[in-house]
Amino acid sequence: MSGPVETAAPLLVMRGVTKHFGGVQALRGVDFDLKRGEIHALLGENGAGKSTLMNILSGVFAPDDGEMLLEGQSVRFDDPRAAQGAGVATIFQELDLVPSLDVTANLFLGRELTRAGVLDRPAMRKEALTRISVVGADINVDQPVGELSVGRRQIVAIAKALTYASNILIMDEPTAALTASEVERLFVVMREIAARGVGIVYISHRLEEVPRVADRVTVMRDGQVAGVQPAKAPQSELVRLLVGRPLDELYPKRATVLGKPVLTLEHARFTPRTERPGWQAPEDVSLIVRAGEIVGLAGIMGAGRTELLTALYGAAGSGKWSGVVQIDGEPARLTSIRGARGEGLGLVTDDRRGSGLLIRDTVGRNLVLTVLERVSPGFLMSRARESALSREAIKAFDVRPPRPEIVVGALSGGNQQKVVIAKEVLGDPRLLLLDEPTRGVDVGAKGEIYARVRELAGKGMGVLVASSEMPELLGLCDRVVVLRNGRTVAEFPGGADEHQVLEAAERSEDETV
Amino acid sequence: MSQSATTRSAAAAPAPGRRRLDLFALLVRFQSVIGLIVVAIGGVIFSPRRHGLILFLAPDNMANIVRAVSETGIIAVGMTFVIITAGIDLSVGALLSLSSVLTATIMTTAGWGLIPTVLFVVACGAAFGAVQGTISNRFRLEPFIVTLAGLQVARGLALVISNNQYINISYGNGPGLAPPVFAILGDRLFDNTVPVATLVFVVVAAIATFVLNFTRFGRYVFAVGGNERAARLSGVPVTAVKISVYAITGLVSAIAGVVHAGQFNFGSANDGTGYELTAIAAVVIGGTSLFGGAGSMVGTVAGAVMLGALANVLQLNNINAALQLLATGAIIVLAAVLQSLVRRREGLGR
Repeated sequence: MSGPVETAAPLLVMRGVTKHFGGVQALRGVDFDLKRGEIHALLGENGAGKSTLMNILSGVFAPDDGEMLLEGQSVRFDDPRAAQGAGVATIFQELDLVPSLDVTANLFLGRELTRAGVLDRPAMRKEALTRISVVGADINVDQPVGELSVGRRQIVAIAKALTYASNILIMDEPTAALTASEVERLFVVMREIAARGVGIVYISHRLEEVPRVADRVTVMRDGQVAGVQPAKAPQSELVRLLVGRPLDELYPKRATVLGKPVLTLEHARFTPRTERPGWQAPEDVSLIVRAGEIVGLAGIMGAGRTELLTALYGAAGSGKWSGVVQIDGEPARLTSIRGARGEGLGLVTDDRRGSGLLIRDTVGRNLVLTVLERVSPGFLMSRARESALSREAIKAFDVRPPRPEIVVGALSGGNQQKVVIAKEVLGDPRLLLLDEPTRGVDVGAKGEIYARVRELAGKGMGVLVASSEMPELLGLCDRVVVLRNGRTVAEFPGGADEHQVLEAAERSEDETV
Repeated sequence: MSQSATTRSAAAAPAPGRRRLDLFALLVRFQSVIGLIVVAIGGVIFSPRRHGLILFLAPDNMANIVRAVSETGIIAVGMTFVIITAGIDLSVGALLSLSSVLTATIMTTAGWGLIPTVLFVVACGAAFGAVQGTISNRFRLEPFIVTLAGLQVARGLALVISNNQYINISYGNGPGLAPPVFAILGDRLFDNTVPVATLVFVVVAAIATFVLNFTRFGRYVFAVGGNERAARLSGVPVTAVKISVYAITGLVSAIAGVVHAGQFNFGSANDGTGYELTAIAAVVIGGTSLFGGAGSMVGTVAGAVMLGALANVLQLNNINAALQLLATGAIIVLAAVLQSLVRRREGLGR
């Protein structure tokens, strides 16, 4: 058993890991390994199981089956603390930071330095400055984390995790919120950490980052490993593994006939009555969405995509629109949700659990929420009409299982997302605003959602989609409008070159930084 | 997705675990009804007997139970709406007291007649609740704080109006006398079996059950409590709903106050103390979630009656008041634990 080459023993081996949640099989016998000093990319569409796998490694979930070997020793982490004790640190997508505490306090949360039982603030502050400088960011360590931008919070979380990652560092989509220059800085830091002998698992769905930082890549699909490749493998091969089919089948055909403009914005600007830090108000937006057309909103994190959609929907708090804001060629007052709905707008938010669904209520009761006035024109609910409408919506969006009486929280992410969209569509909007319509959705459901949205557009609905997934925008939309600092700065036809769009989206960052 | 994969996942996924969950969920859903049955059976078993008669089941005793719970029961019915929106109303007991004082004062001094008096008092109660709801919404204050202040204000108003005296109601025709028909609230109907106060409770509960389950407003209440942001984005008039539910608790508290004045023939600024907690207990035992979004009116009614029956059983057996409190506390915890188990089973309590 005692092999001659001890160094070749992998740092981590996971074998046959299985996990299911309720009726959803999240992992079906996954094998994964990691070497010391290696940066191992874990790629997969949303819902492929990569986060679940890493949650098992970091002790958040217990696997149903399978084993884990850390340096050849069988291990089992019952909670995140046990994993941290073994030198496994994780930076979660939902950052585990306390917004009301300052950066220093967050870095030392649960591991505070004390002297004679009293918090040793000067020592912690000094150490915090060192740790922040390691990740090469200029962040005020005395500032509450809640006041930092999402990108900066991410960096604080990284600095925090680095302090106890002696063996393995798991990074769950760390670049999603970062600007190009921040990403570069992060990659440099990652290589330094790896050089110290730490194994890094780098979860991402950004294909183009893999060869820039990783050594190897494991691709997951539908809870299984689709393949393990060197990071320099051709992109087309990785795409095939990722999607399980050529990419062009995922997206429906584009529109051929366009109608009159549904939404017209010319130098439109929304001035909120109270400024909110980190809220990028629409400053100068010019765009047109025609009936039958799907228009995409591209832009980096913080460019103001979500803000534009919520402001159009009248959900951005009190404030004032200026410039030209027209629905169907007529000036529209979009300053309250009920006003916007009255103009025929519908919004699907980017956070279905937080603001899209009554998560503990049934599918049927969720679906009819936007059309209660139609279900019950008088005082009384019409159960028959309610049931007919919800069944119709379930059928149209192929919600599975097709039972309105099920609690919506028990459905898979993809089916929950179908319910959120179906709920808005039931209200018959003229203009449908979609914010990250396929976040946390598996590939199969993605394809179905794209097809359905295209079908609705074909019936004369205008659709405005914001997404951080560039392939989605370019694949689904007829046109893509680029936002930067709340301004429209460029426009591309659907199917345009991804790099050109990215460049337009990020340009000003490089100028100002 | 291939056809076979679709059918497989749809069929295989929820089938076996689901049925067990439903049974458990059903049990929890009717926990207060089951609790009421358990208490009733216990009441029969442990009841003292006289001449072979089970005292617990004696018509007088039964009437006493349902009469004793009628005031807190009426309040609990309104409280259910508020708690389903994830709110709370602590002012209800004080508002009952203020309403009883108002009723007695108007009847004995203003001589408005029965119906105008009752309508006025009930409108005042609803307005009081609506003001609390408006303040809480306008200034984004926790309803806990606003209604805690409301409790003090209502109690203070009652003390000022009554000058901290019992305002006794005498019946008759003439100045300073209340219409004799008002005394009916202390009587029993149907062969002297059913207390009129209980009938008021039944009517209020029936209307509330209907409103909560069969009207658009009821659905709005659930939506606001289930996810306020989602409700607002879906076009639900969230603010109006949140103000309305406090108007409802104010309204039912005033009804309870009128009933109180009628039952005891006086208005007092010192009555109704702690009723808010009894009402909240009934709602929670009835299976309504303090997190909002889920709840049942039938559960609340059964919860209220169960608390009354439990107190009655313990009294009949001469068990002291301290132990009654302990028993009530234990039941509230048990009800809350059952709720939490359901949430965890749904995978939502993480």
